[in-house]
Amino acid sequence: MLDRALLADLAELTLTTAKRAGATYADIRLGETRREFSFARDARLENFDERLTEGFGFRVLIDGAWGFYGAQRLDSESLRVGALRALDNARAMRSIQKQPIELEQLPAHEAEWIMPMAKDPFAVDASRKADLLLAICASARDAGADFCTASLSIAREERFFANSFGARIAQTRTRLAPSFTAVAIDRAAGRVATRDSLTPARGAGWEYLENAGLIEEASQAGAQARAKLTAKPVTPGDCDLVIDPSNLWLTIHETVGHSTELDRALGWEANFAGTSFVKPHMLNELRFGSELMTIVADRSQPGGLSTIGYDDDGAPADSAEFPIVENGVFRNFQMALGQAHLIGLPASNGCAYADSPTAFPIQRMPNISLRPNPEECSLDDLFADVENGVYVVGAGSWSIDQQRDNFQFGGQLFYEIKNGKRGELLRDVAYQGRTTQFWSALDGLGDAATYHLDGTFTCGKAEPVQLAPVSHGAPPARFRNIRVLNTSNDG
Amino acid sequence: MFLSASEAKTLAERILSRSSAHACVVRIDGGEDNSLRFARGSATTNLTASQLRLRISSHIGGRIGSVTTTRIDDDALTAAVQRSEELAAMLPIDPDYTPPLGPQTFEATNRYEAQTSGLKLDSLAAQARQAIDESARLEVEAFGCANSALRFEALATSAGLFAYEPRSEIDLSVTARNRADAWSGWAGAHDYRPARLDARNVGQRACEKAAWSAEPIDLEPGLYTVILEPEATAELALWLLGAMDARAAEEGRSYFSKPGGGTLIGENLFDPKFTIRIDPNDKLAPEGAFDHEGLPHRKRAFIEGGVARTLRRSRVWAQKTQAEPVPYGHNFIVDGGATTREEMIRSTKRGVLITRLWYTNMVEPKSLLLTGLTRDGNFLVENGRIVAPVRNMRFNQRLGALFSRLTAIGPTERTWRAAGDGAPAAPPIMVDAFNFSSRSSGI
Ligand SMILES: [Zn+2]
Repeated sequence: MLDRALLADLAELTLTTAKRAGATYADIRLGETRREFSFARDARLENFDERLTEGFGFRVLIDGAWGFYGAQRLDSESLRVGALRALDNARAMRSIQKQPIELEQLPAHEAEWIMPMAKDPFAVDASRKADLLLAICASARDAGADFCTASLSIAREERFFANSFGARIAQTRTRLAPSFTAVAIDRAAGRVATRDSLTPARGAGWEYLENAGLIEEASQAGAQARAKLTAKPVTPGDCDLVIDPSNLWLTIHETVGHSTELDRALGWEANFAGTSFVKPHMLNELRFGSELMTIVADRSQPGGLSTIGYDDDGAPADSAEFPIVENGVFRNFQMALGQAHLIGLPASNGCAYADSPTAFPIQRMPNISLRPNPEECSLDDLFADVENGVYVVGAGSWSIDQQRDNFQFGGQLFYEIKNGKRGELLRDVAYQGRTTQFWSALDGLGDAATYHLDGTFTCGKAEPVQLAPVSHGAPPARFRNIRVLNTSNDG
Repeated sequence: MFLSASEAKTLAERILSRSSAHACVVRIDGGEDNSLRFARGSATTNLTASQLRLRISSHIGGRIGSVTTTRIDDDALTAAVQRSEELAAMLPIDPDYTPPLGPQTFEATNRYEAQTSGLKLDSLAAQARQAIDESARLEVEAFGCANSALRFEALATSAGLFAYEPRSEIDLSVTARNRADAWSGWAGAHDYRPARLDARNVGQRACEKAAWSAEPIDLEPGLYTVILEPEATAELALWLLGAMDARAAEEGRSYFSKPGGGTLIGENLFDPKFTIRIDPNDKLAPEGAFDHEGLPHRKRAFIEGGVARTLRRSRVWAQKTQAEPVPYGHNFIVDGGATTREEMIRSTKRGVLITRLWYTNMVEPKSLLLTGLTRDGNFLVENGRIVAPVRNMRFNQRLGALFSRLTAIGPTERTWRAAGDGAPAAPPIMVDAFNFSSRSSGI
């Protein structure tokens, strides 16, 4: 645990420097990130690495220009120099600051937030983690896989945030990402099949892994990888899809999460992550999907990778509770500090994140989830109305254009749906779509009992690239007449 | 925080002297990065970030525990060494344990210029200004990013290895969009010598590509002749090189596995004009002196005249297979030919000129089926001329087939990469029957 009083003193030092220099705004994030990464391949632990990164990032606004300086140090001399370097950087921007940066006032909170968890994963012995990974590999191989790799990634962010509005916020959160891939090979036929784990990354303690059933899942995965080798090739063409939340989360992420980021719509990511087909004038106008489609943002779901008390601009979690799409209509962009006024709105809705103390905070996703059906509907109910379709489970190879329109997603497991019932395993499936057409084809949703929260540690955005954790919850959902490819015939 | 060779060596020795393990490996890297972004010709975000990171790997009885930290005070170093030893003692014995490398000889590389004033944020702002001025002249909007980095990497082992390499880098990339927000163009450049970066040229190339007011044409998906500019060639070649792993091939998991067993090394798999190689002394795209394991990079062809020559081989897999280890390269050269991009355009009856690719991802590693989209400068070529912008499309293309039919190959150029990601060099190539599978509205 870091010394809070020391961090608060260091923060004051930089904020005072900024004030004396005539800055209109300044903020600082300081603290440390602990990570642990372990990796096993077959019967061998290949890597076990504990990582500690400490540091600060100081941001100052002066004459309408940002200046930022960060360093992987937490001593007062580094912060003193850092504050001056940030001011120099702001001055260096003057020659290209055609449009001054303007900020809204945010409420100044003094608060502490700690993610609840039962067992600190960093306190669990390395030997237990190694044993778990080796047991996963053994389980998959006993069940039919030729090879298996397994990894565990654990992270804890401990931050102190202070700004010139008067906010002073200390926060700590912890997350885990277990992962494995079972591989089966038919050497004679030259075929390979893989099955990636479906157990999602979560904001959680070690108790999550104790109950996740990874070894049992690895056994299923080993058998399924082998079965995929001889599964029936999919017939390409348009058909109905029932998409499991273990696949749909990533489709939501790519098509809805990224397309409704205001910085993208404004062109701030045009050079790398991209812009968006969603434009500011479409607010409350664009029909994004069918009536069944309601997608909400939050920072409060238990287990959510974006669950936190305050964002990296100091905006409270309740400002990030909003609908993005309501009954098919586009309702809100995601925003960080300094963006809302550009579309005539009063303030940020709490969507800022910096992936390390030395990174500039930018707009990033809160948890973004598809609301389940208020009426009772099971997975079998969704199948019941499908004559000819495919049930898609798990996330596979994914790709989407930079305005978030044309996408292609694979998966881990695909099952035929015939005459209202789930049938045999299929192989070589990918589906293609155009975002609003796809969501307009949504005509069935599972109820709350079928809801599942999935997510990733590594959503990439910005230059230099920052990697953000984010969760997406969804029920299984049915989409009519979606283009399915057979990837062994090129598609 | 940038450390000189002697500073890095002193720090490494402070760590090794604290080790009571059977063997110890220390990796140190760090430096200072600068970056700025602009949108519609005006600054958005920027940063200076100073980094210094140590990774300590303690080897005890065939087990390796590693600790990475940014703390370098004496107490923190002692604690990190002890913790890595504690971890090693807790872990299972590695059946393929490989001891650390001893002394090596490295190529003298040339990716560093001590004169660093050109790397500061005011210099980057001046570069951005030149690109923005081009956008005003050509009446388009400019969006972009300029980065610089002054970095070093050092590796020391208790078996006597010490490796150190400094690097200075600068890059600029610009996306221009026409004022109707209905067409875009892109260009980028990267260099290890700040003064060689020509910001005006980058701005001009991006803005000229964007300065089309005609409505883009929608093409029917299908098979097309394409001219891939160097940036697109490099992206496709990187996926191919990434698949060239000995372990995956020998285990039967890869494109380079031979049906029934063994690998396709020595086989004629691609067009005879196709060569991918690495070379620490190359003028255009020099590889670094050593890889993350401390293995020296040597001049080496992975594919030569269409024949698969080498697969990268980790030290662990090399020991297990009793073969030479081959390090993984980030900087590679795709050899060029004599047909210029303009000649390719002139010889095209109907085809598509592609500036760069976006969101490429492997669909099927075994058959190297890759998907992705075109981006920022896709043009229809008819009867030897660029006639119109073409709306972007998705492709699903097997790389083996693509690199087997190079109709023409142009002069190799340096391509853009963000500082820190390596810097390949590649030629424009002309290929028949490139598979566009669907349309996209994304511009
Ligand atoms: Zn993402």
